[in-house]
Amino acid sequence: MSSSRRRQANPHLGAYYGILTSAFVSLVISLAMFEQLGWPEMWVARAMILVPLALYLAISLGACTLNVEDFFASGRRVPPVYNGAALAAVLIGGTGFFAYTGTLFFLGFDALAIGLAWTAGLIMSGLLFVPYLRKAGAYTMPAFLGQRFRSRPLRAMASVLQLPPAAFLLAAEIKVAALIIAMFLPLSHQLAVACVAIIIACVTIVGGMRSLTWSASAQFIVGAVGFAVPLIIVSVLLTNLPAPQLTYGELFEPLKRSETVAGVSPSAPGELATALPHEQPRPSAKPFLQAFGAVSRTDFLTLFLCLTLGAASLPSLLARGGVTSSVADQRRSVAWGVFFVALFAISAPALAAFVKLLVFQDIAQAPASALPSWLNDLSAYRLLFARDANTDGAIEAAELFVARDGIVLVLPMAARLPFVCTVLMAAAGLAIALAAAASHLFTLAGSLADDVIRLVDPRSEVLPRLMVAWVAIAATSLAAGVFLAFAEIDVMRVAIMAFASAAATFFPVLLLAIWWRRCNWLGAMVALGAGFATMAAAVAFGGAPIAGQFRLTTVLAALIGAALGLIGGLIGSLLGPKPTPAEQAYFEELRDPSGDALHDRPQRRTAVAAASQ
Amino acid sequence: MSEQPGRDRHRWKTLLLALATLIIVFAAVFAAVAFAGRLDQIGFLRFPLGFYLLAQGLLIAMVALAFWSTRMQERIDRSFSEGEEL
Repeated sequence: MSSSRRRQANPHLGAYYGILTSAFVSLVISLAMFEQLGWPEMWVARAMILVPLALYLAISLGACTLNVEDFFASGRRVPPVYNGAALAAVLIGGTGFFAYTGTLFFLGFDALAIGLAWTAGLIMSGLLFVPYLRKAGAYTMPAFLGQRFRSRPLRAMASVLQLPPAAFLLAAEIKVAALIIAMFLPLSHQLAVACVAIIIACVTIVGGMRSLTWSASAQFIVGAVGFAVPLIIVSVLLTNLPAPQLTYGELFEPLKRSETVAGVSPSAPGELATALPHEQPRPSAKPFLQAFGAVSRTDFLTLFLCLTLGAASLPSLLARGGVTSSVADQRRSVAWGVFFVALFAISAPALAAFVKLLVFQDIAQAPASALPSWLNDLSAYRLLFARDANTDGAIEAAELFVARDGIVLVLPMAARLPFVCTVLMAAAGLAIALAAAASHLFTLAGSLADDVIRLVDPRSEVLPRLMVAWVAIAATSLAAGVFLAFAEIDVMRVAIMAFASAAATFFPVLLLAIWWRRCNWLGAMVALGAGFATMAAAVAFGGAPIAGQFRLTTVLAALIGAALGLIGGLIGSLLGPKPTPAEQAYFEELRDPSGDALHDRPQRRTAVAAASQ
Repeated sequence: MSEQPGRDRHRWKTLLLALATLIIVFAAVFAAVAFAGRLDQIGFLRFPLGFYLLAQGLLIAMVALAFWSTRMQERIDRSFSEGEEL
């Protein structure tokens, strides 16, 4: 078949990324040697941050394209493993990299809901949505809804409602990336935000989904190497084995002892909104292993369900739904994504436990007059402070202030590893944050351009279609940059809000559109609207008590919104007209796992007709 | 119209596989959360079992489940497309 030949991936892909991995590893090794030879830390940091950045930009330029299918669907020839890596990078993101590990440090057991939810959500998405989106082959998720129900207004509405989840995550990821850049390069926060916004806009404009895919694969490799190397070194130092995931269990006894010495006693669960740690440095007050000591059992499950539904229907993940060469490959790519996400979710608790043990052993059990020297470095980076407030000569847990998003950077410093390990960790987080930020930017702006702006001018030719997308991408990244230069956001709360609004708005409509034949445009609109309205109500009330003790928190609103969306979608569909034969045929075709993507058929027919003339 | 029964069987198998996988995932997580306190009394690889399941055990199981269900689905799809050609 001619189409299958065209869909083949570059056979040298493995070699390219092998070379890239070895180049990055040799950069790390050379910088480690230069550091020992007396290079100043500043130079090591700049090289470690800037060289990979140049690499990502070079890869994106190499993947530049003017082809519409390449721009929106990466040419539908991405091998499953690479797409899985990109899915994992987008789902975890810089927010997960820095804030999830930090939350684990503060909450221990109670934070595990987040890692579980990512994994379960991706599985759910792979079973319920992704194969059918691949078969449909629409470039964006709103375009799929528009084609499924033959409704342009629905398509525009879905595109606009993508704004909350995608824009929240975009802002969070840009902020994380800017924090790292401002920490290690001589730039102010505003300039760092501008830099990040320009970088992701460049990556996205030159090649759309194609350059996103290939730069995200490189960023995933940098992220994985940068996260694993310091963690494995610390694991060898503490437990003599290079498998942190297996061995951190044996550190629980010393960890419990040092927690007791530092004055951490079992706590009682409070409300979810206050239990989740804030960005500002604060003391850690809950024993690592205590189950449900900060987040109650019910809140744990609510958070798990909310994030699961959110991850399953996250627009930025579903936008990658059409990039592989077949439905079967798309399924496999999700399975690989689950594997990579689970690998991170398994390693993160080990990292948090290591940091807690190192910090508590070294600081909380030492006399206040003889604190370790690395504490000064960490204070200089504003990651950790200790002051003997009650002047009893010892630092207790309550006197030790830890910044939530800096835990991964505390690990190499507190373990007294060479400075290169600290910047390696930072470069890893930066890579993942950039991959996620560019992906959210493309999802948001690409959809606004293709689904909303083109409504006004649907007969645009190839170049104008991409130009509209370029302008939308540039404008969106400018808006996000300007917003972040002035606004203060807590990245984890914003990310949870984004997952919650994705769950409330898109989960019901996708479930009904893909699995219920009778669903029609009216039901889909009601489902979208009901979910969105519930989230809007939650934001308006801001967690204040509504009736008696009942508070509509973001997380709870997501579940209520999803349920209302499902009910509204059912009622709306039954009240509305019966689906037309064309809609029913589309529904049937979605379920056939073989053959071309439905979206590509008209194009192929046109191409065949043009060739035969 | 001879393809109708085959197509229906394919649909049912696909739906059943998706539901079974999701039910296993959610039931396992809910059970591990519900009995976390009691499971923590048991040791496993020097971890308390309740913590181990949520931090690692269930995640490993989910990865295995994801690859298993992908393979099962491919088998279902293959038997469908072979039946279709007959």
